[in-house]
Amino acid sequence: MLGSKHKPMALWLRLYAGAFFGFLYLPIAVLVVLSFNESSVIGFPLRGLTLNWYHEVFNDSKFFIALLKSFGVGLVASLIATALALMTALGLRKRFGGQQWVVPIMLVPIIIPGIVSGALLLVFFGIVGVPYGLWTGALVAHVTWVLPFAFLTLYPRLAAFDQALEEAAMDLGAYPWVVFQRIVFPLIRPAVIATVLFSFTLSFDEFVRTLFVIGAERTTPVYLWVLIVEQTAPFLPAAGVIIMLISVTVAALGFWISAKSSPTSKRST
Amino acid sequence: MGNTPQAARAGRWLVAPAMVWLALFALAPLVFLVTVSFWTASMFGLSSSFSLQSYAALAGDPIYIRVLGNTLKIAIITTALSLLASYPIALFLASLKGQRKTLFVILLFLPFWTSYVVRTFVWMPILGRSGLINATLMSLGVIDRPIDGLVFNEGAVYVGLVYVYTLYMTLPIYLALDKLDPALIEAASDLGASTWQTFKRIVLPLTLPAVWSGCTMVFLLCCGAFVTPRLLGGPSSQMFGNIISSQFLDAGNWPLGAALSVVLMVVVLLSLYLASRRFGLQRLFMGQH
Repeated sequence: MLGSKHKPMALWLRLYAGAFFGFLYLPIAVLVVLSFNESSVIGFPLRGLTLNWYHEVFNDSKFFIALLKSFGVGLVASLIATALALMTALGLRKRFGGQQWVVPIMLVPIIIPGIVSGALLLVFFGIVGVPYGLWTGALVAHVTWVLPFAFLTLYPRLAAFDQALEEAAMDLGAYPWVVFQRIVFPLIRPAVIATVLFSFTLSFDEFVRTLFVIGAERTTPVYLWVLIVEQTAPFLPAAGVIIMLISVTVAALGFWISAKSSPTSKRST
Repeated sequence: MGNTPQAARAGRWLVAPAMVWLALFALAPLVFLVTVSFWTASMFGLSSSFSLQSYAALAGDPIYIRVLGNTLKIAIITTALSLLASYPIALFLASLKGQRKTLFVILLFLPFWTSYVVRTFVWMPILGRSGLINATLMSLGVIDRPIDGLVFNEGAVYVGLVYVYTLYMTLPIYLALDKLDPALIEAASDLGASTWQTFKRIVLPLTLPAVWSGCTMVFLLCCGAFVTPRLLGGPSSQMFGNIISSQFLDAGNWPLGAALSVVLMVVVLLSLYLASRRFGLQRLFMGQH
């Protein structure tokens, strides 16, 4: 959008972009470097190269269990949230009374600050009498948190979807479920898969809400938090790098599927 | 196909599961929270008789007001810093084309798809006593002993908050800039407008809703911040999220914690109301849709 007449500005912008991306990536570079640093103090100066911290992380059974729990709850939460979001997005293409309330209600979990969401569910489960834990409080917290984002990812795709195909099939006498299964779903499948992957990373990294309702169990971010606050684990940078790699891999997969499947634009995320 | 009674029924059934889920796990708990804020806590547990005790405690102790004021100040400054940092980078991204654009957009996104606990923690070995900055300055001979004042203060909280939340500002502005018709800018410059005039008169007004939406998001996220001030802030830079969590997780005083949460929710809803009066709630979150 900036034409050739604006060259001096473009140069200035490029310099600034260098600084900005430096700010984004320097901390990550520091984390990676420190994860190989042969020193039990997390910091500088660098002492020498070691794989010891990765060795320790992989041998830490608590980390492994936390990782399994994060994977489990992430998978279930992202599937539930994507299913709910997909149904909502499909439903919104019909006309019905009270429709205008659906999107605002959908956005409620984004509007409530994370700390309040945690408190809400802590009080709610406490009073209702459901024990805190991974598959109670944490799962509910994760689905509720991820749902609006899954919806915001899917809704534009479905709103832009050409309804003529469906109408043709309906006119030919196909049942709505058959139309969905045979026509709509194959066309939106990549978007749905991308949504599951994005939802998974959101759930995998969720921390504040989980902290309030998970009881004595630990997801990976909660376990890391405990280690950070107690300041006892020199392998923290290595654990951080592993967690970043997992989220980045899943998110990159989501971007890739999403970009490959998007017929209209490259800019959709 | 969208207008028949059958279609209306199908539509209702399709949105019902998500609506029931949110009614059960977002709206009902909100009602519970407000209710509990009028209860009282004692050594013997919760008493559910109506009481204004928690709100009285809140109003009576200046520390809560001070922390609330401080939280709003930090949220506003962080929002302003994010805007300053984000607008030029959005311009930069929008000026790119083809594969380079895709590459830089992905580069912008990737860090934000990773754990914010890790992304906050990482500032400790940068700003801390044996951190990168101290180590660099010492090896350059600028200082001969480490500076302690780089972390555990309000400045570090700003750095951490901008670092974890600035994407929420960059993204809407970039999307708005990317949608601008290049012909508008060409027309302006053909008519003799300077770069600055074009920006001020055309680009900025057209991206203002996106700026507003980004500001609202970052402001709201900062109001609920907990991890960043806890890890990078000092005792005087703790935020409202920290005193809420300590009521629930340390002191076990649910009514006071609930009352504090209600206050935070009121602040959030009030700012949302003010923000949406101008551009509408839906547009605030979903851009042009």
